[in-house]
Amino acid sequence: MAPLARPPSPHRVRVTPAFRPSSLAVPGRAPLAQSRPRELWLAIHLPSLLLDSLRDVALALPGRPPVAIVDLGRNGKVVRACDEAVRAAGVREGMSINAALALVPGLHALARNARRERQLLEAVAQRGVRFTPRVSLEPPDGVLLEVRGSLRLFGGASQLCLRLQQELENATGVAVRFAITPSPLASLWFARTGPLGARPVFVRHRDELASRLASLPLGCTRWPERSIEVLGTMGVRTVGECLRLPRDGFARRFGQELLATLDRATGRVQEPRAAYAASERFAARRDLEPEAADTARLGLALDPLLEELCQFLRERGRGVQVIEVQLRHRAVPVTRVRLRFVQPVGAQPRRMAELLRERLARLVLPQPVRNVRLLSGPLLDLQADAIGLFARDRRESGENLPQLVERLRARLGNDAVHGLTCVPEHRPEAAWRAVEPAATPQAGRKARGPAAMTRQSTTSRAEARTANAEARRTRPAWLLDQPEPCTVDRLVFEEGPECIESGWWDGHDVARDYYVARNPQGARLWVFRNRRETTAGASWFLHGWFA
Amino acid sequence: MPEVVKASVEQLLQRHSARLWRARETGNGAAAAVPTGLPTGYAALDRCLPGAGWPRQGLIEILADQRGIGELRLLLPALAALCRDEVAAGEVYPSPRPDPAGSAHAGSGMPPHDRGSGGWVAWVSPPFRPYAPSLAAWGIDVGRMLIVNGAGTTEWAMDQALRSESCSAVLGWANPRDPHALRRLQLAAETSRSLAVLYRPLQAGLTPSPAVLRLALLGGGTEGLQVRVVKSRGGRPATVNLGH
Repeated sequence: MAPLARPPSPHRVRVTPAFRPSSLAVPGRAPLAQSRPRELWLAIHLPSLLLDSLRDVALALPGRPPVAIVDLGRNGKVVRACDEAVRAAGVREGMSINAALALVPGLHALARNARRERQLLEAVAQRGVRFTPRVSLEPPDGVLLEVRGSLRLFGGASQLCLRLQQELENATGVAVRFAITPSPLASLWFARTGPLGARPVFVRHRDELASRLASLPLGCTRWPERSIEVLGTMGVRTVGECLRLPRDGFARRFGQELLATLDRATGRVQEPRAAYAASERFAARRDLEPEAADTARLGLALDPLLEELCQFLRERGRGVQVIEVQLRHRAVPVTRVRLRFVQPVGAQPRRMAELLRERLARLVLPQPVRNVRLLSGPLLDLQADAIGLFARDRRESGENLPQLVERLRARLGNDAVHGLTCVPEHRPEAAWRAVEPAATPQAGRKARGPAAMTRQSTTSRAEARTANAEARRTRPAWLLDQPEPCTVDRLVFEEGPECIESGWWDGHDVARDYYVARNPQGARLWVFRNRRETTAGASWFLHGWFA
Repeated sequence: MPEVVKASVEQLLQRHSARLWRARETGNGAAAAVPTGLPTGYAALDRCLPGAGWPRQGLIEILADQRGIGELRLLLPALAALCRDEVAAGEVYPSPRPDPAGSAHAGSGMPPHDRGSGGWVAWVSPPFRPYAPSLAAWGIDVGRMLIVNGAGTTEWAMDQALRSESCSAVLGWANPRDPHALRRLQLAAETSRSLAVLYRPLQAGLTPSPAVLRLALLGGGTEGLQVRVVKSRGGRPATVNLGH
């Protein structure tokens, strides 16, 4: 008691009066900048998180017995939460399980499940992401949203709270309590107190905080029980009474930590919050009842999952490039269907469904399918396409190409569709390469023919033109994958020989004399004579057609 | 009386000439002055085709048995033009210069650095590898080729490519036996803005086809590539020798 009985020290915590003299404020206008908060934090408190997280378990119990959530405390199992009915019988939090059983003999004890609680909290946070990009978790039972920028969009604080409440009720079914203040901690404290149905506390200005916090009981601060007890014996039971204590004495007695929380709550000190990063993958499953034996039914069953995935993507404004469908059977291993998109795809359920149908149609099911899972790959940023202001033609931007490639690949396989590029190489078979079809026109513009090669030495357009004319004469439009042995008896040689000797460094050494020849039917061929002895014996090969 | 009737019919035809399509006027005269086709790059061939070039809508069939006689050479100047985007949007193209030798001029007259960026060119089930260095030498943007190896599903793949509107030309190698498949392809080609070309064996020329243009290619020995116009909507049968 001694330090608190001292005469008022110059370090006393200043309590701002709850009202400002009206003479200072211009009527009808907000008082000048000093109290304009940069942030407004909406706290979501889940008062019955423990019960809510196990609600489906409790509802599945036969006969719907009264339930209590228990946890291993200091003296054995301790009740942490319970039904209204159980509470009415006198069971309280912190009571040992035996005492509770004595009061309610039919009580069903459920073990607390931290993983489910965390999941429920994250589910709430994920809904919060729809309202603001700045979401922060306050485990075990709080979520904070920074809503200053969202108030106008959602039509004010009360509208926002209403929308959020509906959203949470529909999605998770949890009971929630809100409060909005400029300080995250104060919001949490307000949200933790008060009855369930009450109007949310809304404190707009930072200098109102101390006075509005004053009436809160100390329990909402979640300080160590020991400290609260000691404060209680000193007659300090509310935050306001606590604020009236001298700072140095308070810090000495209860530690710097508690003083810091007071400063954060009153907005003297800014509190940085760790941002919540939404789960980066999508996963959902659906049981099929009865089991599906045909792929058409699978397609129907997957549609809602795809819709969910698209909703998931829409909320985040992101896309996926890979999605996987897992089909689980009774006895055989899982069938996996992977869809790969050329570009990250946003919320386009029809495009996904179309592609999936195409793949499913070709699938042979080893057994009927019991359940399906839809998993997304990592979420990617969507590429913003620049659309020409005066685009004359849709195909100029090539925007439909990715879809076309996907559709063709879904049916023909991944390797069946490719683009082309030139490679500066002397060996004819190495002078081109199959590439991923370039999605953007720019990407496709790199490839150039022999003209580009000569352009390095000379920039003359005329010479490039000659090089092209030369290449048209000496390079065939069709190339054979494998040179075919042939005879040259009836051929008329028109050009050549062109000697190509290269590749000794990579094991595909060639030494060939190429000729352009014409056969009696009038077709022009590209033939070469192998200048190295080969085991095959043949020395003349056909390598292409001048079509 | 018959004179009067005839006169009034002529008057009517004159009055509504803008709305009338008369088969015999398409290939020559006034209509030819405004070419609607995509220039083939071969003046001699352009002269035989209604619209003075490849029809922009509808299926083109090229019938050839032999390979290496110039079946691609026929098309490459037009593809190069499509890649340059000069003609992709369908605006009027300056009439081709007279070229008595009938040799390709589009390829040689074109600077190696391209201007625009046309659509893609889909090659569906080509019999061999389209050889990139050669295509580049013809002035084709190799980065805009899409090679689809879809043996057995060529018609489907062509149909998809035509419908997607991302290709300025779709070339396919197949011989659909089913007349409905051909009909579907022709319909897709009719509604699409892509140049649609189907390569078929010469034998297929004996059966009717809904294609708007059918060309038979003969590589007759020394005189070079002979192109016979088998069917041409709005045009007449003709034979052109394009030389070597």
